[in-house]
Amino acid sequence: MNREVNDITIEIDGKRVTVPEDTAILDAARRAGVYVPSLCSSDLVEPYGACRLCLVEVDDGSRTRLVTSCNFPVRKPLKVSTSSDRVKRNRKTVLEMMLARWPEVPLVKDLAGAEGLTGARYVHPNVDLNPNACVLCGLCVRICEQGIWEKIVNFSGRGVDRSIRMPYDSLQPHCVGCGACAEICPTGAIEMVDDPNRPYDAEMIRKAGMRITREMIKYDEQQCDMRGVGTAHLVEVMDAYDLLPVENYRFGRHEDTLKIESRVFREKYFSPGKPDGCWLGCTMSCAKAIEGYELKTGPYKGRKVLVDGPEYETVAGASNMGIFDPDFVVEYNFYCDTYGLDTISFSTLTAFVMECYKAGILDEEKTEGLKIPFGASDAAMELLHLIAQGRGFGRVAGKGIRYMKKYFVEHFGADPDFLQDIGMEAKGMEYSEYVTKESLAQQGGYGIALKGAQHDEAWLIFMDMVNKQIPTFEDKAEALHYFPMWRTWFGLCGLCKLPWNDIEPPDNAETDEPAKVPEHVKGYCEFFEGMTGEPQTMDSLVRMSEKVYNFQRVFNLRMGFGTRKHDVIPYRSMGPVTVEEYESRKERYDSQLEEQVGLDPRNMSTGEKLAALRKFREGQYEKLLDAVYKRRGWTDNGVPTVEKLSDLGVDFPEVMELVRKHGG
Amino acid sequence: MIRVNGEPLSWHPGKTVEDVIREKNYRFPLLIVRINGRLVPREDYGKTEIPDGAEVDVIHLMSGG
Repeated sequence: MNREVNDITIEIDGKRVTVPEDTAILDAARRAGVYVPSLCSSDLVEPYGACRLCLVEVDDGSRTRLVTSCNFPVRKPLKVSTSSDRVKRNRKTVLEMMLARWPEVPLVKDLAGAEGLTGARYVHPNVDLNPNACVLCGLCVRICEQGIWEKIVNFSGRGVDRSIRMPYDSLQPHCVGCGACAEICPTGAIEMVDDPNRPYDAEMIRKAGMRITREMIKYDEQQCDMRGVGTAHLVEVMDAYDLLPVENYRFGRHEDTLKIESRVFREKYFSPGKPDGCWLGCTMSCAKAIEGYELKTGPYKGRKVLVDGPEYETVAGASNMGIFDPDFVVEYNFYCDTYGLDTISFSTLTAFVMECYKAGILDEEKTEGLKIPFGASDAAMELLHLIAQGRGFGRVAGKGIRYMKKYFVEHFGADPDFLQDIGMEAKGMEYSEYVTKESLAQQGGYGIALKGAQHDEAWLIFMDMVNKQIPTFEDKAEALHYFPMWRTWFGLCGLCKLPWNDIEPPDNAETDEPAKVPEHVKGYCEFFEGMTGEPQTMDSLVRMSEKVYNFQRVFNLRMGFGTRKHDVIPYRSMGPVTVEEYESRKERYDSQLEEQVGLDPRNMSTGEKLAALRKFREGQYEKLLDAVYKRRGWTDNGVPTVEKLSDLGVDFPEVMELVRKHGG
Repeated sequence: MIRVNGEPLSWHPGKTVEDVIREKNYRFPLLIVRINGRLVPREDYGKTEIPDGAEVDVIHLMSGG
């Protein structure tokens, strides 16, 4: 949490300005509209006091002295002079020395000229006549280390031999040419020369990339802290909104969530300052690493290993199994990665197994000795190893929820309707880790997604459930058109979507459609144009996706999916399945029955209320499908129409024949 | 009484944006707050008082991988 920060009023050249404690005098002066020259300061890096141009005279009541204003923090009321005789004399001396060494650098000439200097009275032994000479401000060194988390460039030599170099004076393999050093250099001393992909306009790409880098450096810590903890920050957020899956999505929060929230991983697990980024040069660097974790189970028991993660989904997968032990999270994260299993599918299918165990559908005999109620972390780990080895109950569970539902009905006489309700899969793929009961749009986001129950086509819970921005079916359908198409575009281009909306420009709130983060959409248009030379708009990018998305829907159709009956979702993702679930949020559901369904819950049993709510919510989902299909230009059965495919230019004969057969 | 994202919430004199965010347990960091349509800068949440009867929008920008 933020500590209490006091405001302090200081006087700069007679102007009073109030700033938070620890603000540098230079920043206070800028806020007060007082000009102070500087060469080596930037809002993107820590102050350094290298150029000495920002010298000011400070009177703290007891004494007067010269300080560099960029790194002198305001901690008590001060009187500051930026242009006293003493300041001017010293500043002039500094500038004369700069002019002696770098006489042709325009910036140095301008700053010196402002102090009345046109030349130096002496010649520097290492005079550099290059107008783009490096002035040793160290901005490039600092942005590389502090902003990009690399150390590609650094100071070398001492005294007059000091210079900026790469180690061994050779191009470093770690340097990905992000361009941050060149961008921040005040004299143009760093030139980007190598563009291996031969883009149409490398400068356009770099400028768009630098805007994201700038936002990451300046705002991430106050926003999502992706560089600090990655997506794990969502654990506590989702818990606060009753959206964190607990015990097979029965509930949305738990009192033990604090044991697995991001703070725990930051303080006790993640290797500090060491991102395990997906690729070099990504300034978001949200993938984290845990070094030296000693495994407790499995074939590598006792070995110390490096673990890549955990991300939000992996942590939330643990709460979904009713497990709130961070060591378990790290252990199952490691073994899923090592075995080539997906943490989402594993945790969701295990949560299903646990609920079946709780409901008596499974017992120790049926699981071949596995005692696996909610919260059983040892049993969950054992199941993971069994799945990987193809042994025991792992042979059944490893085939996923869709298979298990059929198997449990056929072999154990389980109730197929109940299994359909609680088996969290769609199109055969396990749900990712969000509770969707209170967001109809998100239910559609999971149900209609082409690959199965995944939220990466559309994550609309806040827009829908919290913000109430998309109240009508048409509003939801519009969101379920735009966002899946927009997100598909990232896949088309092999780009990550996280820099799109897990960091936000400071003026995003003032734009017309902040949810779309228009400034970042513009940046992606520039990435595309910079690479290909073809100018783009938001609409043209979405249109690219629409072609592919519709083609993929037709592909699903060809493979025996792709119609309305395959967009069904388990009732657990729409509402409470059991009495216990209903009772746990009774006030919410009762008021919905009253306000949305028009029933008086006071005279109804919980069973009756469950049934009435279910009838209502299932009806809502069907209406949502109608609206989405209509918006997308599909038939009532969810098949792209001939007209739509013709309009998109994907009207290949084989495609048209197939959709016609299905009424398109 | 005020309305926050369309839902009623009790009001008292001096209630600030920060009070509402705390009361509603809005822990998500990417918020946009408007009072009767007027944008409130993030740094002013603690000192911006909400008038009685106000329509408050606390827009959560989406997230998630």
